[in-house]
Amino acid sequence: MSVTAVDPAPAGGGLSRWRNHPKFELWLAFWTMIVFYNFFFILFFAYTRVQPPPEPAWAIPRVLEWFTSHRFNLLSGFAIVFLVTGLTGAANALIAYSMRRMSVSPAFAHAYLVIYALSAVPGMLLTCIAITVAAMRPERDPQVIAWLYDFAFMAFDGTMGVFLIGSLVWMVAILLDKNRVFPKWFAYLNLCNALTEVVVAPAWMFTEGVFAWDGAITWWIDVAVFMIYTTVFITLLRNMIIREDFSDGPLPD
Amino acid sequence: MALAAHPTHPQPRVPGQPDMWFFILFEAFLFTSYFIVYMVCRVQDPATFLQSQQLLSLPIGVFNTLILLVSSWSMARCVQASRDHHYPAALNGAYLTIAFGLCFAALKVLEWTLEFDKGIGITTNEYFSFYFFLTGMHFLHLLIGFIFLGIVVAQLRRGHQRSQTLVETSATYWHMVDFLWINIFALLYVVR
Repeated sequence: MSVTAVDPAPAGGGLSRWRNHPKFELWLAFWTMIVFYNFFFILFFAYTRVQPPPEPAWAIPRVLEWFTSHRFNLLSGFAIVFLVTGLTGAANALIAYSMRRMSVSPAFAHAYLVIYALSAVPGMLLTCIAITVAAMRPERDPQVIAWLYDFAFMAFDGTMGVFLIGSLVWMVAILLDKNRVFPKWFAYLNLCNALTEVVVAPAWMFTEGVFAWDGAITWWIDVAVFMIYTTVFITLLRNMIIREDFSDGPLPD
Repeated sequence: MALAAHPTHPQPRVPGQPDMWFFILFEAFLFTSYFIVYMVCRVQDPATFLQSQQLLSLPIGVFNTLILLVSSWSMARCVQASRDHHYPAALNGAYLTIAFGLCFAALKVLEWTLEFDKGIGITTNEYFSFYFFLTGMHFLHLLIGFIFLGIVVAQLRRGHQRSQTLVETSATYWHMVDFLWINIFALLYVVR
């Protein structure tokens, strides 16, 4: 028996039509995730310019100069980050939903949710807090500001490993799934992503070169993989919503 | 007869899941990017790289390469035997591959230990940073390879529901571990 995707056009108009759409919540979560990633990339890469990260080998006067010259953007940019960080919940929930749609145990979805909810603290928020604290009072002891500088960037770039197990949980769920929610090659892409999280580890030992927190291997190549991974999973989540038929069996093509 | 005039040919396919080949392609691109960064750094400081390279044990490197090559051969025999439904022979091939893999791992750990004893570490210089990084990443792939070898053994030991696709997918992964090592060995130990 063939199963067709449920995507009817509900009666009514305007908001009512949207609200009664059977996939309204899923699309809401999807577009919330898109909004979050737009905020993330614009604020971290373009507005505050904390990514690509400045050099770890800088002497204290250069670090102070960086905080002074970026002060307004750092404070206002991270104020917005603090406001929108909660949007990651929608992205995590949608990914957890994908695992609930699989034929595997709900334990996978729950494990992923817990891991990613906790990972946002060292992976993003600690950086924002440390940089905001350092930028808030430029007259503070230079040693303390330099300490906050190291703390902020090591928290962001050096703790990628906390995402490793989450990627592996998603990978195993996809490999075991019989509902064809995602293609198996995406499971292996999760493994690639997990392995690049390990690559960041040398950043704890180097202040310059390709293995430092701004290095060609630990940052540039890793970010290229992360960009590919993020683009792929957003596309696959979109396809999953389009294919969703709200049954328990395999997702239709 | 139309059928006789146009005999049906089996659809050409890659061994195992095509998805695993996607993974291998992606990993190959990733390691190629590491190798390019290595070569760029080497060009900037060839003297240090050459002097440091001479501190490595070439005999251990060669022996380890041979071990991995033989492990790929035993894996290929395992797959062939499994295709021919000779499952005891296939299991022997899988066990042999595991044994060779363990030998490689033990020898690699021994080599690292000897280097640590000489006072060489990941922060000694840029060459050794690459050396420990690349061999460490390869070691991680090797450890994951043991999971795939475990899947091969589990499949071959099953009664009637063996998956030849899973056996070949796992074998493909193991060959990738070998392929990566040959590149790393050539780059770190041999290229002058």
